[in-house]
Amino acid sequence: MHEFSIASEIVNHVLEAAQKNQGKKVLSVQLEIGELTLLNVEQVTFWIQELFKGSIAENTKIKVRRIKARIACEACGYRGKGRSNQEDFSSHFALLNCPRCKSFQIKIEKGQECLLKRIQATR
Amino acid sequence: MKIIKSKGPEIFDIELEKDLLSKNRSLAKANRKKLDRLNITAIDVMGSIGSGKTSLIKALIKKLNRGEEVGVIAGDLTTTIDADRIQEEGARVIQVNTGKECHLDANLIRQAIDQMKLEGVKFLLIENVGNLICPGEFPLGAHKRVVVTSVTEGPYMILKHPYIFKQADVIVLNKIDLAKAMKVNPSQLERDAKQINPKASFIKTNALSGKGIDQVIRALGL
Repeated sequence: MHEFSIASEIVNHVLEAAQKNQGKKVLSVQLEIGELTLLNVEQVTFWIQELFKGSIAENTKIKVRRIKARIACEACGYRGKGRSNQEDFSSHFALLNCPRCKSFQIKIEKGQECLLKRIQATR
Repeated sequence: MKIIKSKGPEIFDIELEKDLLSKNRSLAKANRKKLDRLNITAIDVMGSIGSGKTSLIKALIKKLNRGEEVGVIAGDLTTTIDADRIQEEGARVIQVNTGKECHLDANLIRQAIDQMKLEGVKFLLIENVGNLICPGEFPLGAHKRVVVTSVTEGPYMILKHPYIFKQADVIVLNKIDLAKAMKVNPSQLERDAKQINPKASFIKTNALSGKGIDQVIRALGL
């Protein structure tokens, strides 16, 4: 959804952090993206690589770990993985419900993150 | 002989742990705190393009009959058309033009709140950019969120955009007088809404005639 703006923010943070630490070349960037965000991982990595071109982070390796969704059911108190009533939308939180009591009254505990975890660089 | 070997470039890690989506959430929390301090109830009015968000806001102000107690932040890519229309009802309006962005965000609302004269204002209605996708991921700090859709958008709008309807406290189905002409069954849309979001109130309105507006006022606690 907002892949381009998120990618540019990531790029700015990476280059700023590398510069602050006298990095000469950025070797890898590690991200963690929740499966319930409206972010398409392929688009995010594509834009990061595009925006890195011509910088000290050109051709850097981008590693993305997906964070699985975890829910808490407000109706029966269940905590854990959610259940989806539509296979195509398994990662869509609006369609997630409680696997124990089927209620849609759930809270998201995990899966909405977009984390820039760490970068690796040479000095 | 002692040989000093070059170690080559030193490789090091920089831990960042930065959540890029959390910035908006923390700004939204700050907005909420500020509004609470000022004793203002804020409503985020989201909805499709042309569903009647501005008409609903106008109808709410008219029905409340206390224009001077209402502040409105009107969000659009460009123009002041909505702000001008709302001003006719006697409310204080500030137009936020997002330029290219398809949603309002907490930072824009922070600036708007700072710039508005809010003395005497009890209710702040925030008209989001017409869009059933992006505003869902950007909370603004409002106390309640209403999503407006209308029968002229066809019978599948709610099922196709579950994310935003899931976050609504109130779901408004507008232009209800046109349901028959559009061959749309409002009860089916209500069932779709209840399945996705059992907690939200579902209200059928005709913002132009005023039908259902009382119910919206009650549901929003205005």
